Amino acid sequence: MTHKLLFHDIDEPGLNTIEVYKRRGGYQQAEKALAMARDSIVKEIEVSGLRGRGGAGFPTGKKASFIPQGKMDKYLVCNADESEPGTFKDRELMQKSPHTLIEGMIIAAYAVGANKAFIFIRGEYVQQAEILEAAVQEAKDAGYIGPNVLGRGIDLDLWVHRGAGAYICGEETGLLDALEGRRGNPRLKPPFPANQGLYQGPTLLNNVETLAAIPHILAVGPEAYAAMGVEASSGTKLISVSGNVQRPGNYEIELGMTGREIIYGLAGGPDPGRDVFFWFPGGSSSPVLTKDDLDLPYDYNSLAGAKTMLGSGAIIVVDDSNSVVDVAVKTASFYKHESCGKCTPCREGTNWTTKMLKRIQSGEATPMDLDVIESVCDQIMGNCLCVLGDAMAMPVASMVQKFRPQFEQHIETARAANEARLLAELDAAAPVLEGIGH
Amino acid sequence: MSLRRDPLGPLDREAVRQGADVPTRVHVPGDGDGISGELFHHEVHRFADGSRVPGWREGHDPGKDAAEVPDPAQVAVPEDLRAEIEDYMSRYPDPRSAAIPALAAAQRLHGWCSPDAIEQVACVMRLTPGYLTAVAGFYDMLETRPVGRKTVYVCTNISCSLRGGDELLAALKGQLADDPDVNIRGFECLGACDIAPMCSVDGVYVGPVDDAEIPVLAEQIAAGADPLPLKQLVRRRVADTAANSDGVEVEAIEAGTIGPVLHTDGPATGGNDIPGAAR
Amino acid sequence: MPRPEINEITFVVDGREVVAPAGTMLADAAKLGDVDIPVFCYEPKLGQPVGACRMCLVEVEGIPKLQTACSTPVRDGMVVNTETPRVKAAQESVVEFLLLNHPLDCPVCDKGGECPLQDISYGWGRGTSRTVEPKRHFEKPVELSPLIAIDRERCILCYRCVRFSQEVSEDYQLILHERGADTFVGTFDGHPYVAPFSGNIIELCPVGALTSQAYRFRARPWDIEQSGSVCTLCPGQCNVSYTVRDDRVMRVLSRQNDAVDDGWLCDRGRFAYQSSYVDDRVTEPLLRDGGVLRPVSWERALAEAARLLGKTPAGLGALAGGATSNEEGWLLRRLHADVLGSRDFDSRSGASGPAVSAGLLAALDTPEAQATVPDVEWAHSVLVLDSEPVDDMPILDLRIRKGVRRHGMRLAVATSRPSSLDSIAEQAVRFAPGAGEAFVCALDAAVGGIGDVAGLAAAAGADAAQVEALGRMLREAGEDVVIVWGERLTHGANPDNAARALLKVAGRLSLLDDHAGAGLLQVPSGANGRGLREIGLLPTAGPGYREPAAVGRSAQEIAQATIAGQITGLHLLHVDPVQSFPERGLWEQALHAGAVVAHAQFLTDGLREHANVVFPAEAGAEKEGTVTHPDGRLQRLRPAVARPDGARPTWQVLSQLIAAVGGQATALTSMMVTSEIAEAVPFYAGITHDEIGGFGVRWQEREAAAAFPAGETGPFALEDPRPAASPNGALRLGRFRSVWASPEVAHAPALKFLAPKQRAELNPDDAQERGIRHGQQVTVTATGEDGSAETIAAVAHLRAAAPRGSVFLESGLGAESVDVLDAALVHVNSDPARPA
Repeated sequence: MTHKLLFHDIDEPGLNTIEVYKRRGGYQQAEKALAMARDSIVKEIEVSGLRGRGGAGFPTGKKASFIPQGKMDKYLVCNADESEPGTFKDRELMQKSPHTLIEGMIIAAYAVGANKAFIFIRGEYVQQAEILEAAVQEAKDAGYIGPNVLGRGIDLDLWVHRGAGAYICGEETGLLDALEGRRGNPRLKPPFPANQGLYQGPTLLNNVETLAAIPHILAVGPEAYAAMGVEASSGTKLISVSGNVQRPGNYEIELGMTGREIIYGLAGGPDPGRDVFFWFPGGSSSPVLTKDDLDLPYDYNSLAGAKTMLGSGAIIVVDDSNSVVDVAVKTASFYKHESCGKCTPCREGTNWTTKMLKRIQSGEATPMDLDVIESVCDQIMGNCLCVLGDAMAMPVASMVQKFRPQFEQHIETARAANEARLLAELDAAAPVLEGIGH
Repeated sequence: MSLRRDPLGPLDREAVRQGADVPTRVHVPGDGDGISGELFHHEVHRFADGSRVPGWREGHDPGKDAAEVPDPAQVAVPEDLRAEIEDYMSRYPDPRSAAIPALAAAQRLHGWCSPDAIEQVACVMRLTPGYLTAVAGFYDMLETRPVGRKTVYVCTNISCSLRGGDELLAALKGQLADDPDVNIRGFECLGACDIAPMCSVDGVYVGPVDDAEIPVLAEQIAAGADPLPLKQLVRRRVADTAANSDGVEVEAIEAGTIGPVLHTDGPATGGNDIPGAAR
Repeated sequence: MPRPEINEITFVVDGREVVAPAGTMLADAAKLGDVDIPVFCYEPKLGQPVGACRMCLVEVEGIPKLQTACSTPVRDGMVVNTETPRVKAAQESVVEFLLLNHPLDCPVCDKGGECPLQDISYGWGRGTSRTVEPKRHFEKPVELSPLIAIDRERCILCYRCVRFSQEVSEDYQLILHERGADTFVGTFDGHPYVAPFSGNIIELCPVGALTSQAYRFRARPWDIEQSGSVCTLCPGQCNVSYTVRDDRVMRVLSRQNDAVDDGWLCDRGRFAYQSSYVDDRVTEPLLRDGGVLRPVSWERALAEAARLLGKTPAGLGALAGGATSNEEGWLLRRLHADVLGSRDFDSRSGASGPAVSAGLLAALDTPEAQATVPDVEWAHSVLVLDSEPVDDMPILDLRIRKGVRRHGMRLAVATSRPSSLDSIAEQAVRFAPGAGEAFVCALDAAVGGIGDVAGLAAAAGADAAQVEALGRMLREAGEDVVIVWGERLTHGANPDNAARALLKVAGRLSLLDDHAGAGLLQVPSGANGRGLREIGLLPTAGPGYREPAAVGRSAQEIAQATIAGQITGLHLLHVDPVQSFPERGLWEQALHAGAVVAHAQFLTDGLREHANVVFPAEAGAEKEGTVTHPDGRLQRLRPAVARPDGARPTWQVLSQLIAAVGGQATALTSMMVTSEIAEAVPFYAGITHDEIGGFGVRWQEREAAAAFPAGETGPFALEDPRPAASPNGALRLGRFRSVWASPEVAHAPALKFLAPKQRAELNPDDAQERGIRHGQQVTVTATGEDGSAETIAAVAHLRAAAPRGSVFLESGLGAESVDVLDAALVHVNSDPARPA
C-alpha cells in the first residue's frame, strides 16, 4: 500500500480553509521548523532525498544550500506555472490543500533566510489562484505570514502572482523575468537564480509539489521519507495520467512502480479493444516509450537509463487508434507556439520542424524530410539558451526514430491520396476548361 | 511588397503554351460551374501556412508622436484602475513587477489591451506604452486585438486532442461563431488533461464535455450562465481512489460537493468572484 | 564606484596561447589570438551579453555542452576550441536557421557588402540550405520613423536595436511584438521611433533590416570611403566617421572613442550632414548692396569687411559661436586684440550678463579639479547641476545612464525644468528659473552643514529639505563625486558669486584636490566653449586664463554699446546673436545699429536682415583645425570633403582680414595657427596635430599642464544671492533649448520634422487656474519695466512634473523663440483668437 502524504484525505470538505487544515495538524511543522536552526532544516531536506518535482529532478536540499548566507534581500519563489502538457498535479494540490503549499513555503523561506516570497501561478488557473489568494490571506490573518511571524522576529511577505499564459514561464529564469514584469524570456545561466535571481538577489525557486512535500518530510522524518520509493527516487510523487486511459487523473505513488502498474493498474489502461501504442513518461517533452517499455520501473534513474525522463511525472498514453504523425505535429506545434523566440535554434528550429511535420501530415513530404527533421532536432538539442528547444526536439526525434516506418507509410499514403484528389479535380474541371477562351 | 498574381491559372498557361490566345478575361468559375473554385484560387505557396505573421504590415503612423512615458497631466486614468494598479505595485520591491497584473486589470476594464488601456497603465506605472505592449504581446491571455468579453479557451493539446479536444473546439466555434461577445480560442494545455476534452469558460474549467452537451454549453456561454455545473473541475474528486479514507469519502459525498469550501466574500485583491459560488 | 583592477591571464584558443585581461569575454579575448568567433547579438556596448543568437558556440574543455563565447569570461588555463566538428556543425546550423527566414535580396540591400550576416554565412555557413518551407513575409520596407526604415523580413531577431532602446538610451520605445517565430520589432500602436539617439540602431543592425532613410540606395560599400573627424554641433564632440562618395558626405557613423562618446551618436550628429547640401547654404561671399545681400568677389568682400572693421578700431565688437575652432577663435582674437586693439569680444554662446573673472575661471578649470567623461560613469555619485545633458551635450546623457544602470552610480539632478534624468535620479531638486546662483549658495550651506540653508533655499525657490538631502547624499555617497554643471549657471547677473559658491561646494567635497575620478565637468553652452575660453576669447581672460590688461565688454554690453553708438562694427564668427542669445529685441537693435561682418553657413534671421558682409563658412566635414573637449581633450577636425566651389577656409579668411586691416598674417596653414596657439597658451605648449592624433589628447595629462596658472584659491566669501522673482500671480519664465533647436536641424531634410515648435510647459494646477487645457493655444506675455508688452504664441503643454509657479518656453526657435520675452515673470492666457 502506497503511503499517501500529499493526497491523504485530499477531498476532505473545507481542507482549503485554515480551520480544517489546522484541525488536521496543519502549520505544526512550520511552528516546529521556526524553532529549528536554519541549516538543520536544509540538512533534513537533503537527507530526505527529495528531488525537484517540477521536471528537472534536482536535489532540493542541495539547491537550497546554494543560497548564500548574508544580509542581502533573498527571495523564495514557488513555480506554480504548471504548463507542461499532460501535467496537472499542482493544480489539484493548490486547489484542495493550498495551506500545505503555504506551510512548505514558510519553512523553506525560513530555511534560506528569504523574507519575500511569491507564488507564480499560471494565469489560466483562475479558480486555483483565487483559492490560494484566500488561503494566503487566512495565513496572514493567523500570523503565519507577515511581520514578526509567530512572534519569532522573522518577517515574511507572500503574494500570489498570476501569469498570463506562456509556457516558458515554467522555465525558472523565464519565470523570474515574468515576475519582474517583463517578457518571460529565459536568462543566460550562469548566474544561477540561487546567486542572482529575482531582482538580482539570491532566489530559491521550487515547484509546488516540492514545497508542499516539505511539511510532510518534517512530519514523518527525513529518514522515513527517504525510505519510501526506491534509491535516488525517494518519497512519494504525484503523477498525472492522461490521454487514452480509462481513469485519467492524479495519483500519489512511490516511485519504482512499473509503467504497466500505473497505466493499467491505476489508470485502467486504454479503452477495451485498444492497446498502448506509445507513451510519454514525463510530460510531452520527454522522449516517448513504446508498449515494450511498459515494465520499466517508473523512477528517475530507470527512465534516464531508457534515454527518457521522469520530468514532471505526467504520463500521456497514446493508444493504437492514433497516428504518430498527428501526435508529432501536435507536440512540435505546441513548442513552436511557446518558444519565446530569444535564441535562434529554438525559435527557428521549432518553427522549421513544425512546418516539415505539417508537410508530412498533408502528404507533401518525402522520407528525406525525416532525415532533415532528425538532424534539425539534433542541432537544437543542447545548443539553446534554455531547455524549451530540447523539449520539442527530444520527443519529436524519438518519435521519428522509433516509428520511422509509420512516418514513411503515412508520407506515401497521404501523397497518393493527394494525387488522386488532384486528378479527380482535373477530370471534373475538363469540360469547363474546354470552354475557356476558345 | 505586392506580389502580382499571374492572371493565368496553371491550366490556362498550359493552353497558351499549346498555341491558344491569351484569354483577355480570366474566367472565374461561378457557382454553376460544378467545379471547385479551389483550383483557380489556390494560394501562391510562398504565402501559405501562416507565413504572414500578425502585424506584418505595420509601419508607423506619420500623424503620431513618439510614445514616451505618458504624463499624468495629459492622460485620464479611471480611479478604480489606478487604485488597483497602485495596489499591485506596492507588493513588489520593484513596482515594474506589477506589469502583468496591471495589464490584466486594464483588460478587464477595456475588454482588451487597447492602446488606451496600455496608455493608462503606462501612465500609472511610469513606463512607456511600448514596454507594456511588448509584455502584452508575449502572453497569450493578454489580448492585443479587440475580442469578445466572454473568454472561452478550448484545450487542443495532446491529451485533449486524443479525446476529442479539436472536435470540441470546432463544434463550439460553429455554435458561437456569430456571437461577437464571445472570444473562443483553441488554447495550449490548460492543465486539466484529466477532464479532457475540456474548456475554460471565463476561468471556470469544465469537462469532459460530451458531444451531447456541446449545444447546452454553447447556450450557457452565450447567456453568461454557469457552464455545465456538474462537469466543473472544482467538483471533481481526485482520481487516486486510495487517497481518501472512508470517513472523508462519506463526508464528501454527503456534503454534496466534493472539493473546496468556497469563500463567499471573495479574495481581497479583486479578480472575478469565485465561480460557482456566485452563480 | 571605483574602476575594477584588471589582471592578465593566459588561455589557449585553437592551440594558441593567448594573454588576455581576466574576465574578458571569450569572443573578444579570442581576437587577441587572431581567432575570429562569429557573433550577431553580442555587442559589448549594449551591456551584459544575452547569448541569444547562439552563433558563437565554442567548445570549452571540461564543459560538456557547447558554450557561448560572448558570455563566457576567460579564465586562466582555459582551453577553447572553435574549429572542432561539433562547433562547426553548431555554427553551420545556426547560420542555416537564421537564413530560413532571411530573404536573399542582398543585391538590392543597402547592407550588402558590409553585412555581418553575409560575411558570417560565407565564413561559417554550410553554403547550401535544406529548407523548402515558405519564409515569413512582411511588407518591405516600412517606415519606423522618418529617419529609419525597417525591413522586417531581413531581421534575424538579434535584439540589438531593442536592447539599445531599452538599456542604453532607455527611451524604451522600440520593442518586440508577439512571441517566438512571430516576433517582430516595432513600436507602440504605430507611433514612430523618435528619440535623440534612435539612429544608433541603424549602425547596430547586423543585417539590412534597419536602414537610414537618408542613406538608402545612395551608395554601395565598394564606392565609399570613410574619413574620421569630430562633430562640432555640441560640446559632446563625438568622434565621427564620414562616409564619403564622390567628394560628398553620404552618412555619418560613430567612430568609437570610449573617452568621449562610447561609440554612440545622437541623431543631430548623425543626420545634420545633410544641411551642407541644401540650396540656401552660403557658398560665396555676400555683400549688402541696395539693402540686399548679393554675391561678390572675395577681393571685394575682404576689402569691404576690412573697411567696416578697420575704420573704427576703438568701437568694435566680436562674437564667436560654439562651432568656432581653436584656430578660428585664435585668429579672431588676434585680429581684434592685437591688430585692431579692441578687447570687446565674447565666445559664451547665449550668455547674458558679465563673464566670470579670470582667476575664478582658472580655479574652476584647474587640472586637479577636472573630471573626465569616463569619470561620470564610474563615480560614486554625480550631480547634474543646471544642465539638461540630453539637450546640451546629448552623449553625456548616455554616459550618465550607463553609470547608473551598470555601475550603481548614484545620481542627483538639480535643475529648474524637470529633467529627463529625473526618473533614474535618486534625488531630483528643483529651483526657480534663473536662480542657479542662489541654489548653489544653498547647496554650499547644505553640504557644509553651516549657514542658512532654509533662507538660501527660499531665495532659490527650492525646497530646503530637498537641498539638505542632496547635500547629505553628496557627502555620504562616496569620495568619487562628479558635478556636471551647465555653463548657464554663470550666465546670471553675478556670475562670480555663482562660481565662488560652486568652488566652495567642490572644495567641501574635496573635488579640488588632485583626486582621480572626482571633480567638476562643465557643460559649456558652445561646442568649443572650453577651447575658446582657454585661448582667451573672453572679455575677462587672456590666453591661458591670464588676467587681461583691461576687462572688455561682454556680449550683452557689446549690444548695448552698439545701440549707444560706442561700437560701430560687429564681427560675428559662426553666430547669429538674434538667433541664439536671449534679449532678441536688444540684438536686433544692435545689429541694425552697427555694421556687421559675419562668417556663416546659413543666413539666419539676424544675418539676412542686418549683415553687411557675409563670408561662407565651412561645414563640419570640410573643416580643419582643433577643438577642446569640456574635459580638456584636444581633438582634431580633419576635412573629409572639399569646400563648395568658391569658398575658402575660415581661418584663411580671418588671416586675410588681418592682412587687409594692416596686420601681419603669419599663418599660411591651419597647422601653423595651431602652433601659434601652443606658444601662446602655456599649458598647450608643444602640442601638435600629430600628437593629438585620431583620439585626441587631454592637455591635463601632458607635462605642460604644470604651466596652468594658479587660480583664486579662496577662502571665498559669498555675497547674498539675488533671490528668485516672486510670481505674485504671474509665472516665472524658464528657458530651455532643445537639442533640435539648431540651424542644422532646420536645414537638414531628414531632420526638419524634428524642428521644435514653441510650447509652454505648465504645471496642471497652474493651467487649471488659468482655464488652460493641454494642447490649447496660449499667449505668453511679458511686461517690461517701461510698461511695454511683448507676447508670443505657444501651445500649452501640461506636465505633472513641472514646478508650480513657473512656465518653460523654448529658445533658439527664431521668431517664436522665448528670447523675444525679456522678463523674469510672464502671464499665460488661453489665446482668445484661437480657442481650443
